[in-house]
Amino acid sequence: MASDELVLHVKDLYVNFYTYEGVVRALDGVEMFLRRGDTMGVVGETGCGKSVTAKSILRLVEAPGKIEDGQILFYDRDYESNEIIELDIAQLAPQEMLGIRGNKISIVFQDPATYPNPVFRIGDQIAEVIELHQDLSLDVLYMKIAKLELALSEAGAEADRAEIEGKISYYRSQLDDPPEPDKKSMREAAKLKAIEMLRLVRMPAPEQVVNQYPHELSGGMRQRALIAMSLACNPSILICDEATTALDVTVQAQVLKLLNQLKHEIGTSIIVITHDMGVVAETCNWVNVMYAGTTVESCETDRLFAHPLHPYTAGLLTAVPKLHEEKERLPQIRGSVPNLITPPEGCRFHPRCDYATAVCKEKKPILEELEPRHWVACHNPLSD
Amino acid sequence: MSETLLRTVDLKKHFALTGGVFRKVIGKVHAVDGVNLDIKKGETLGVVGESGCGKTTLGRTILRLMNPTSGKIFFDNEDITNIKGRALRRVRMNMQIVFQDPMASLDPRVTIKNSIGEPLVVNGVAKGRRMRDMVLNLLEKVGLTEDHLNRFPHEFSGGQRQRICIARALALNPKFVVMDEPTSSTDVSVQAQTLNLMKDLQDEFDLTYMFISHNLSVVKHMSDRLAVMYLGKIVETTPHDVFKMSLHPYTFALVSAVPIPDPKFAGRAQILSGEVPSPISPPPGCRFYPRCIFAQDICKTKDPELRDVGNGHLVACHFAGELDFGKSAQMEYADSLNGTYA
Repeated sequence: MASDELVLHVKDLYVNFYTYEGVVRALDGVEMFLRRGDTMGVVGETGCGKSVTAKSILRLVEAPGKIEDGQILFYDRDYESNEIIELDIAQLAPQEMLGIRGNKISIVFQDPATYPNPVFRIGDQIAEVIELHQDLSLDVLYMKIAKLELALSEAGAEADRAEIEGKISYYRSQLDDPPEPDKKSMREAAKLKAIEMLRLVRMPAPEQVVNQYPHELSGGMRQRALIAMSLACNPSILICDEATTALDVTVQAQVLKLLNQLKHEIGTSIIVITHDMGVVAETCNWVNVMYAGTTVESCETDRLFAHPLHPYTAGLLTAVPKLHEEKERLPQIRGSVPNLITPPEGCRFHPRCDYATAVCKEKKPILEELEPRHWVACHNPLSD
Repeated sequence: MSETLLRTVDLKKHFALTGGVFRKVIGKVHAVDGVNLDIKKGETLGVVGESGCGKTTLGRTILRLMNPTSGKIFFDNEDITNIKGRALRRVRMNMQIVFQDPMASLDPRVTIKNSIGEPLVVNGVAKGRRMRDMVLNLLEKVGLTEDHLNRFPHEFSGGQRQRICIARALALNPKFVVMDEPTSSTDVSVQAQTLNLMKDLQDEFDLTYMFISHNLSVVKHMSDRLAVMYLGKIVETTPHDVFKMSLHPYTFALVSAVPIPDPKFAGRAQILSGEVPSPISPPPGCRFYPRCIFAQDICKTKDPELRDVGNGHLVACHFAGELDFGKSAQMEYADSLNGTYA
């Protein structure tokens, strides 16, 4: 399914936060690439930089945070000329980002209770995205024609019919060069599209939901509405930042199934940010493991679960209690996640690593392709 | 069969819902609605359920942190449903709780020594130098050192804070501890440490736990028996093995919904439709029937009793044991791991 064509390449990204206590080195040379059509998981514990990476990709890192160094290459395909344009998101002007954020790259956040604006209707919030990013002039014309055709089928008198037919042919003649529509009909057309989007995410009764407020929906439904909003402009990349963490398991299973279905239907590349290895196994075909602001391992999901090469990944996989196993004690990773104001020298994992040697304390390992299609940043990788 | 430490009989906790200008009671939230539980000495009873099913309210009502609407609670064969004052305080020395969010349950302006020592002082067990020694002893039990005694909560990591809360709960040497989602705000590597610690302490102090969590894998790892809650009621109490034993369709669906950490089984979860109904107006009859694929007419009218189907396995379903769920992906995965679930 996955081609080898890249859609996103995060190269050696450094992000710092300047706080009163000191400089937090949140991202320390993150490497990540996403192929077109892939679903990539980003896993790691709290503070490992998963969300900061996602926010950097959308340039949502705000003061006191700053992107210090590195490139975020986004390969935007122009569907008319079929050319691929390379953009470095880290260098774009804020104005240029407006055309990308929510349009080419969009994000679904963790907490569906706080994210949609509580004072606007669901439909209006989705319509806003559509109006902002899409040219609706054709949609408005089609909508008007459809309405007139409906009127035509109901009209009785001959004179009325002639008048309606005249209007239809007038609008039809505009189809090649549609005029700028007025605000009201634009909102109407956008709302019709919003209903379509809600239907796409399997929202029950979408015609009613567009006119409802977020508090009238349950958590799972709200998350569906947010996914609809993110997909409204048919983005190249959809980022799900812990999108199912706040949901119950049964609802989480529903949303994960939806993501799997959508991935096949619309062909968007998806980045799934999570701390749950089960979610990764369920949805992703590629996975990046992060630790304390660095990418430690990157490979196909099957491979990662079968043969993790980094000691941290192996620890993470075994530390989770599983439904299927009987264990008296869980294998644990000793210590806790380091403070990123004073991160350990060399490999950031070495104080907690059972395999650490002298070189780990001094030299930071770089991400290398140790085995075909399997990248690891470790001086002493585990053998198969 | 060991002795029962805690027993509840038809325990109910309803919250009044007020509205209008005069704050009139316009409805009731049936948070806990008729729960019968037995917890034996030395065991861990796990309580699982989705958010809003009443598991936390159940834990708090049992400890009398909230007063039950009706029903009875027996602790060590003593009816503690209505006791007050000194008698209640005496019972409370034997039952403690560890809350979900360790930051919110530690006073940010009190040192760790005084936080852990407070129950000792309040109950007149120890003070001054003796209190300090006891606190230090507790800290060492949970893996902290003397250096930490005079620090404040903000100086600790999440995992360490949860250890402090556990130390405080154990200060009075209780018999029974309610663990209310103790690891849901910690990371997986720290979660493993905390869970191991709790098991060690249980052996050392001969504790009885009620372990509340929404995470089925964690509860299963910790517990000897599992109680599954749905909308204020216990729908199934199983002796440990959730795979062999899930006879209630909700338990089965809950188990199936847990993502399997193996990509080979991706996309095979059995999915329950709909969401948990509101506990303000729960469905009549069996509360699970609107989401149950096996529901029949009787389920809509008659609330199933929790009945014993053998070996202390209780199920609240009209058709317990008669339903054929088929073999779930979870079972196949378990088979592929160790081949014991034939």
